[in-house]
Amino acid sequence: MSSRRARSRQSTSSSRITDEQINDLVSKLQAVLPEAHIRGAERVSAAKVLQETCNYIRSLHREVDDLSERLTELLATTEASSAQAAIIRSLLM
Amino acid sequence: MQATKSFEQAFLKHLLRGCRLSAVSYKSMSLQERKSAIKLSADVAMASARGGRKWTRGLITKLSKEDEHRSFLQLILGTEYGRLTKPCHGSWKIPRSKKIVRRSLRVCSRRKNNLRAPHGVKSSVLARTLVEKRTHALKRLVPGVESLDGYSLLDETLDYVISLRAQVDLMQKLLTTFEASKLGALSKCTLPERKASFVGK
Repeated sequence: MSSRRARSRQSTSSSRITDEQINDLVSKLQAVLPEAHIRGAERVSAAKVLQETCNYIRSLHREVDDLSERLTELLATTEASSAQAAIIRSLLM
Repeated sequence: MQATKSFEQAFLKHLLRGCRLSAVSYKSMSLQERKSAIKLSADVAMASARGGRKWTRGLITKLSKEDEHRSFLQLILGTEYGRLTKPCHGSWKIPRSKKIVRRSLRVCSRRKNNLRAPHGVKSSVLARTLVEKRTHALKRLVPGVESLDGYSLLDETLDYVISLRAQVDLMQKLLTTFEASKLGALSKCTLPERKASFVGK
């Protein structure tokens, strides 16, 4: 019985997420935010990073929406879309 | 962080396939419908190019909710559709995340009890509430993470943000290439030259 408990204790300690790992993720998130180059290595609170991440995701969604619109307009007016697809395919090789 | 070459190729391949597929029925579609098709193609392309994450499955599931979207997705993805919508075995992560939340709450309450000044009590509670609020907001923005917390949530979010950035960059690249060819730059330079300038960016 005691050996089983000891074994389970061992497995939970090896899978436990440390505060350090979470902090590491938060700073990685901070590094991809648009203001990262302004801040440099200065640490920001987790709540602030989360808030800015939410704002950034929203703005990226808006950018995708805008780019989709521009792509749609471009594809609608072009007559050689199949030729362009062939060009892009060759660029991907 | 730059998108990898394999992500770029997979993304562009699927996006272009989606564009070609929707172009077939363009004449009968409104501008808004065409835009939805392009945007759908872009999201599918991003999810399939990345593959194998909670958010990619969540996104494909969300996009498949409508029947006509689902058949469009299946056309773009082909056999990959089954792989991308397979339920994942990540549920073991949930108990671990709950442990994090419980431990952080314990730490917060211990700090609360140690502080005599009422100001200190308020700030730790406020900090915890703020993090909770942001976490809820994040769960509404990142697909497929409703059941996640703590480390797993942050991990998926980071991956999602990086992929979104890559999606934006690649769509911009595609737009620029299309616009350049429209302006007649096509006739001016040879194919290898254009390939070099595209890859070099």
